[in-house]
Amino acid sequence: MGNEGMREKLLKELSEGVVEYDEERVKKASNEVLDKGLNVYDAVMNGLAAGMEKVGALYDQQEYFVPELLMCADALYAGLDILKPHIRLEDLGDKPKGQVVIGTVQGDVHDIGKNIIKMMFEVAGFTVHDLGRDVPLEKFVEEQLRTDAEIVALSAMMTTTMMGMKKVVEMIKEKNPNVAIMLGGAPVTRDTAGLFGADGYAESAGNAVQEAIKMISRLREMQQK
Amino acid sequence: MTTLTPRERIRRFFRREPIDVMPVFSGMGMVTIQAIEKMGIHFAKVHSSAEYLARSAITSAELFGLDAVIVPYDMCTVPEALGRGVSLYEDADGILYPTVPSKWGTLDQVDLPADTGYLSKGRMPVVDEAIRIAKAYENGRYAVGGWVLGPFTMAGQLIELDVLLKGLKKDKDRVEDFLSKMTDLVIQIAKHYQALGVDYMNIREMGSGTDLLSPRMWKTLIQPNLKKVFAELSSPKILHICGSTDLIIEMMNECGSDAISVDQKNNVAESRKKLGRDAIILGNFDPYGTLVKLEASQVDGVIKKCIDNGVDAVWPGCDLWPDLKADNMRAYVEAVRKYGKAPTPAVGRMN
Repeated sequence: MGNEGMREKLLKELSEGVVEYDEERVKKASNEVLDKGLNVYDAVMNGLAAGMEKVGALYDQQEYFVPELLMCADALYAGLDILKPHIRLEDLGDKPKGQVVIGTVQGDVHDIGKNIIKMMFEVAGFTVHDLGRDVPLEKFVEEQLRTDAEIVALSAMMTTTMMGMKKVVEMIKEKNPNVAIMLGGAPVTRDTAGLFGADGYAESAGNAVQEAIKMISRLREMQQK
Repeated sequence: MTTLTPRERIRRFFRREPIDVMPVFSGMGMVTIQAIEKMGIHFAKVHSSAEYLARSAITSAELFGLDAVIVPYDMCTVPEALGRGVSLYEDADGILYPTVPSKWGTLDQVDLPADTGYLSKGRMPVVDEAIRIAKAYENGRYAVGGWVLGPFTMAGQLIELDVLLKGLKKDKDRVEDFLSKMTDLVIQIAKHYQALGVDYMNIREMGSGTDLLSPRMWKTLIQPNLKKVFAELSSPKILHICGSTDLIIEMMNECGSDAISVDQKNNVAESRKKLGRDAIILGNFDPYGTLVKLEASQVDGVIKKCIDNGVDAVWPGCDLWPDLKADNMRAYVEAVRKYGKAPTPAVGRMN
């Protein structure tokens, strides 16, 4: 089999392994990508991430629900753990990359949506500083200053904690007006994001997880430019 | 025209006897910042004192003319009593609800007590005492609402949610066993509150809508446990689920509760068609959107729409966000009383 044929075969294995939440299949294909000396970044974006994009479509069609999504994400991570250390800087070229500070605001211990958004950033080559969940508001500001990250991504799954995001936005903007801020989480609507003065909005009024997966398409589009 | 007391109004409502006007109440927290400020306390302090809990609920009812008081406000009392701890955020600014800091990380770690000793641990006695205070207030003027999380949602408060959700597929037998134990736990606690005399019991299976689970999974894993819960409880008993419920509304109605509560994601007009005129449907406005974000003049339309769509009582889709606008709250109560004079599909009027 020629290199292109092998590439096609392995991309399909990676993609289908993610869709069918088959961690072993994804691991095997990932190791084969390394053995054959194929482009690792291509395998991540057009294999693993492409699979997750299909998962997003299955979720939209109500074929898949959150339990399936989480297992697909596990399969993607199984591949990413193997492939990511081998991505070469030159593979990324001028593709979007940078640093992101991410976390779930204080008062919120739900981090499923945040973890999926984190995965999307990692797939796209960002360095992710994950503060975890139930994070005191000042910590976001401190971490942004420490790392000089270009993006701060905040998540709140519950209405009762989303107000905390407004304070973080204000605090970060005061210290560093150039930082892009993304808000995500089930109760946050576009109106709310506007109200809080945030720059970006991980569109997630309906469901944080579903919308996080949609980011894959956008990242892949950016990558192909 | 006969005027009922708030408690009589709600008791008659659930018995489907004619009432004077639609009651203003909920099966979730209705505490307001206006009550907290009037008491001169910090919101974080309210959860650990029976006196504060009862007084803040009663003061909210008095300030705005509600028919019921509902305690507690947070979802951590049971996990705390089972040793999972609680974060009260007493030093944080503003309003933060308590959370559970140390859920079980795996099914192997689950260690449930064999007896009911947990009912006297943590803040469980605080809630009991708050119910007693609320019941005794002005000779029982207000209805006292009790609530317990449903088995699946309770499980998500005790064990990491991703473990639970993935376990539904990967470790089905053990998750089913865990949910069965949660069912027994929910029954024990709900019965305990019913023995203390709450006027209605709301089972909040909040995390089980079809945003998270497929209808098929709901039927096999959620519904059987809810049926067990409602078979054990006395009336009035309500099933509340927030999020997407259109695909499971008929199955919800088969669980054996006296009423169904849904949030703003439900198409109530369609649900009414599916369930018929006899089902008591409660819902379904967005409390944060309506009482915090909208202008007061817009609230009337939101409430009218709920009633026009066929609810029997207007319930918020979740706990009220306490830091609400007083004018919006007044507009909400006013609109319920105005449009709630006419009979609703399941409950008639006295005059």
